[in-house]
Amino acid sequence: MSARSTLTLGDIPIGASVRIRRLNSRPDVSTRLRELGFCENEVVRCVTHGYGNIICEIRNSRVGLDTGLARGIVVSYLE
Amino acid sequence: MPTMIAVAGNPNCGKTTLFNSLTGLRQKVGNYPGVTVERKEGRLRLEDGSDVPILDLPGTYSLNPGSPDEQLATDIILGNAAHTPRPNLVLCVVDASHLERNLYLVSQIIDADIPVVVALNMVDLAERSGMSIDIPSLSRSLGVPVIPTVASKGIGISELRHALYAGGISRDRRQVWRRLWELPEPVERETEELARILHHANGPSHPAALLEAMNLLAADTAKVDMMERYVPDVLAHVRGAHEKLDFLGFSRHSVFVESRYAWIRSICAGSVRWMPTGAPSWSDRIDSVVTHRFWGVILFVALMGFLFQAMFSWAALPMEWIGNSFAGLGQAVGQAMPPGELRDLIIKGGIGGVAAVVTFLPQIMFLFLFLGLLEDTGYMARAALIMDKLMSRVGLHGKSFIPLLSSFACAVPGIMATRTIDNPRDRLATMLVAPLISCSARLPVYALMIAAFIPPVMIGGFASLPAITMLSMYLLGLIMALGTAWALKKTLLKSGPPAFIIELPPYKIPSLRSILLLMWERAWAFLKRAGTVILGASIVLWFLATYPKTEGGTAADRLNHSYVGQAGRLLEPVIRPLGFDWKIGVGLVASLIQREVFVSTMGTIYGIQDESAGGGNTSLAAKLRGERTADGRPTYTALTGICIMVYYVLAMQCFSTVAVMRRETNGWKWPLFQIGYMTALAYTVTFMVYRAGLALGIGG
Repeated sequence: MSARSTLTLGDIPIGASVRIRRLNSRPDVSTRLRELGFCENEVVRCVTHGYGNIICEIRNSRVGLDTGLARGIVVSYLE
Repeated sequence: MPTMIAVAGNPNCGKTTLFNSLTGLRQKVGNYPGVTVERKEGRLRLEDGSDVPILDLPGTYSLNPGSPDEQLATDIILGNAAHTPRPNLVLCVVDASHLERNLYLVSQIIDADIPVVVALNMVDLAERSGMSIDIPSLSRSLGVPVIPTVASKGIGISELRHALYAGGISRDRRQVWRRLWELPEPVERETEELARILHHANGPSHPAALLEAMNLLAADTAKVDMMERYVPDVLAHVRGAHEKLDFLGFSRHSVFVESRYAWIRSICAGSVRWMPTGAPSWSDRIDSVVTHRFWGVILFVALMGFLFQAMFSWAALPMEWIGNSFAGLGQAVGQAMPPGELRDLIIKGGIGGVAAVVTFLPQIMFLFLFLGLLEDTGYMARAALIMDKLMSRVGLHGKSFIPLLSSFACAVPGIMATRTIDNPRDRLATMLVAPLISCSARLPVYALMIAAFIPPVMIGGFASLPAITMLSMYLLGLIMALGTAWALKKTLLKSGPPAFIIELPPYKIPSLRSILLLMWERAWAFLKRAGTVILGASIVLWFLATYPKTEGGTAADRLNHSYVGQAGRLLEPVIRPLGFDWKIGVGLVASLIQREVFVSTMGTIYGIQDESAGGGNTSLAAKLRGERTADGRPTYTALTGICIMVYYVLAMQCFSTVAVMRRETNGWKWPLFQIGYMTALAYTVTFMVYRAGLALGIGG
């Protein structure tokens, strides 16, 4: 599996913008993430890393996720 | 003409501020029957002078509910709530800065075929961030009126009232409902067919059936199989539709959400222009410190320490004023009335008991002020994020922190706030431990014990020993709550690792009006309780402490002979190992109803006991400190005070909390479990503290 396909939201540095490829969380959690705007092909930016969590910006909203959840969101860098 | 309006919107969109602006003080807070979701209802005066009820619904991100309060909002909007008629107009409050995500809920409510008026709130913040919104274009695209507002400044309120008035009238002239966004054709076909079946089987309107069909098609097949409210034929059709769509390669879990967002994106592309400022926003800059993995935690601890220090010291003067006022009232009544039973009842049973509790009103108001500021500035969500790592170590996540933080004011709204937690076991664990957090009702007990037994010395030139003692009791409750949650999540309430997602609203200047309104509501509730339950308990206690009368002897002898004295003596053997005597036992029993009754009980007992010495203005704290045994030693020491506080930190002494637990868990099993484990915990820990104190030579 290439490094690009396993890149997750929990891995990206502060300030980086990436595109969401896939949500690997439980179905109910994935549905909630999508409703909050975390849809496939949507662009998300990492704002900061906290202690065990990250803050990201999506659709002009700021959302906090625990690191485990962020590692379930597969992303790729913008072309 | 609307006859019932509901206010809906995402959390943090300014919905409650707008609701307060529309209703003013013409609102009341209660509960929906059968559930403990807080019902906030007001009256809105329309242009024609008529009043219409308006409901402030819990904040929700979608009509696909993930938690109990979202379920309630969904049920009311869709007309599925038995206890509340369906509103015939929904005011959707939208945060203009987060338009796309907020419009998700708006589009669902429009799909439910209910008249909608959109309040595009906080437009000032949106403009400042570089957004320019073509409101007429947005209104045309959505097919509903859109009114720009800044609720915190009262801007747009009159235009909104007009739109609400007109929104109801235009209902009759609306065209036949149609959905404004599209699904891929095979998905559209399956959705329409399932909606027709649901409409004929269960009877919801076609739009409501469409929403229900979408939720069913997007759900896991295994989850659908467990839905008992559908007949087998419907479930079989749903399974078949799942197979067809899966075979065709559609991602059922995402296609509905993505199609809806695609439509929203196209609306925003036509209505919104961006001119980004380029510079990091203030929220960015503040968050880089506030959520820093090191400085964020330091700031949080410092803030909590400041909160308690301020609460203790700033409230001292108003507390003294209130205490002196009540003492003056007692003296005035004493001079105006002839000696006798009635005068005794009024001064000692009534004024004395209530005064002991109402004196602590300033501290309680400061607590609500600080909590309101934390919430309104947007910091509360950051606090939940900072606490998430700690909460995850006990098997919960950051969202459990917010109910625990609310419990510092009162466990009842704290338990109700657990409705935002999706996982039922996490929710139950949070509810079970929330009463361990030291609530405002414990404040009078702590304050009395500290005033009586903790010397007012400064430690390190910065913090006073009384404040440190107070903070220690709060920390004890927090540590025990987290420890108990850990034990519960390892044993009775095991579940998978929680997923923590929380929206962080932008920082904003708090709405003083909303916070003052909240403080007023809580203060009024506290005073009502003081004037009813506590007054009643004080009068009953005065009676039990006065009768049966005995002739001659000291006041202490007469008290010993009374009903209260006899009951206290019965309990004494059980509580003696904790360093408590019968008088404290009377206080413990009386305060089973509400914790602050302990203070009024002591006030009544010592008011009665000290009548031979003239009573006067000697404070209750001084009386406790001055109590002597037959051989002249202090009856109560600092160790007694600490043990009483520790007991009150951990014991369940609140009928209201038991009642809300019973309603929230739909039975007596968990409330009784809660009473049992907290009583055992309180007794055991207090015993250990007492024995350790004696061993260290602190008291005895």
